[in-house]
Amino acid sequence: MKIYISADMEGTAGVCSWAQVDPSNTHEYPVYRRYMTKEVNAAIDGARAHGAHEIVVNDSHWDMRNLLWDELPADVRVISGVRKPLSMAEGAQRRFDAAFFTGYHGKAGEPAATLSHTYSDATFYNVRVNGTACTEALLNAAMLGLYGTPVVLVTGDRTTVDNVKAALPWITAVPVKDAIGYYSANSLTPTAACEAIRTGAREALRALPHAKPFTFSPPIELEIETLKTEQADFMELLPRFERIGGRTVRYRHDDYHAIFRAFIAAMRIGGAANLPT
Amino acid sequence: MNLYLSTDMEGVAGVSGWEQVDARTPHPEYAIYRRYYTLEVAAAIEGARRAGAREVLVNDSHGPMRNLLFDELPSDIRVIFGNRKPYSMVQDAGGGFGGAFFIGYHGGIGDQNAVLCHTYTPAVIYELRLNGVRCSEATINAAMLGAHGVPLLMITGDRTTVEGVQAQMPWVHGVIVKESIGNFSADSLSPTAAQRAIADGAAHAIAHAADAKPFRLDSPIEMRVTLTRTEQADYVAMIPGFERTGPRDVQFTDADMQTVFKAFVATFRLGMLA
Repeated sequence: MKIYISADMEGTAGVCSWAQVDPSNTHEYPVYRRYMTKEVNAAIDGARAHGAHEIVVNDSHWDMRNLLWDELPADVRVISGVRKPLSMAEGAQRRFDAAFFTGYHGKAGEPAATLSHTYSDATFYNVRVNGTACTEALLNAAMLGLYGTPVVLVTGDRTTVDNVKAALPWITAVPVKDAIGYYSANSLTPTAACEAIRTGAREALRALPHAKPFTFSPPIELEIETLKTEQADFMELLPRFERIGGRTVRYRHDDYHAIFRAFIAAMRIGGAANLPT
Repeated sequence: MNLYLSTDMEGVAGVSGWEQVDARTPHPEYAIYRRYYTLEVAAAIEGARRAGAREVLVNDSHGPMRNLLFDELPSDIRVIFGNRKPYSMVQDAGGGFGGAFFIGYHGGIGDQNAVLCHTYTPAVIYELRLNGVRCSEATINAAMLGAHGVPLLMITGDRTTVEGVQAQMPWVHGVIVKESIGNFSADSLSPTAAQRAIADGAAHAIAHAADAKPFRLDSPIEMRVTLTRTEQADYVAMIPGFERTGPRDVQFTDADMQTVFKAFVATFRLGMLA
């Protein structure tokens, strides 16, 4: 059994501030980076207990080179580094038996979700696909689903995992903390969170027969609301992007892979709009 | 006749270094050359009007695109001011103009003996080809004007730049204000002589406008861009419809020149971030 893990950091137990997840922070980040690694390890443990033999971990947070190799099993593969075309879902083109999302967080604008954002908090105000407001989990699940991989486990704060479960009802949701607000959470300890994740991973694979690859039905419409007008100005330069409002653009395609790549391109060019004129 | 001016700064008489045209830092030299630039634009307008041009739209097309000194220009023209225009150096060229001038233009990236040669963003664009033709800014901008049915009537700049454009568009009247010795040196007319030559050239170009043709590219238009660095191609290849044809090469094809032009702008915007 082959398992894909997309590992983010904001939804790790105890995390409630950017300082803990910002790689340039020399005090807090090294601590929480270790907790992130431990949670990924716990998910691997649980998967192995159910017979998973091949594990690919996609480090999906910030510059995407957070995981501490020494603390991971020697026989996993890790996708490390930034600017991957499929970003948090890089590797999705290979079919896996199941995927886990660890350390995930809520979407931009989500109330009571720790450090909630959707890919880029400097660019995206809202991201909708076929009218559904999307979390990173949903965008990524559809990328994996396109190639037949179902997502069966999500870990993070309660708001986040509940939202994901509403969209993917077969998923095993492990809430490691209850978000009080954007910058605070009532959390399990890392040890307890790891235990819950280990158990959750096992359960998730036990329930695999009920899981389905998540897909959006074509024609697919991506609608992006940007934080700032100048970002929509730049996105409008992209072929087939339509400007439908001051801060809103739309892109339509039948193929979700094209939608996802267009979304990443929109994020990048939105970032370029933040450069000095 | 209504006239469209796209005005750049590197091809102004006397300019031979980036400090003279650097609006961002800005260098004290910039204040001097900004005025020469404005005076060349004013000369072009004066000459064009002498030959019968009426309404004039000037698109300030250099750097942050707010270089022109209003006080030195006639009060009855319009000026497009400011940066990040979707059609950049050829913004709003579709308004039924009888012709266009390119003032102060420079050579394409990689041109030999062309002062401060580059194509839009030298940090990103290593080479640009449309339908196989190697493009300077003048080429792609003329093609955008051509798609609107607007012919390029006159170009001013160094010899390499002017002759490069005339090789592609033989009907264009050229005013050579300097001989480029290398990327950073030129044997130049004085600003006063250059302004006089530009005014006379403008009058000549307007008088012979009937001989000019819109520069139209055959559709579909195939754009090939070679990027300066591999990581820029990584980014640019994410643009919808773009194909990665080599480690530093991308290709995009569309029937519509406006779409191609915007895709080119997207290319250097995105490349800047990489």
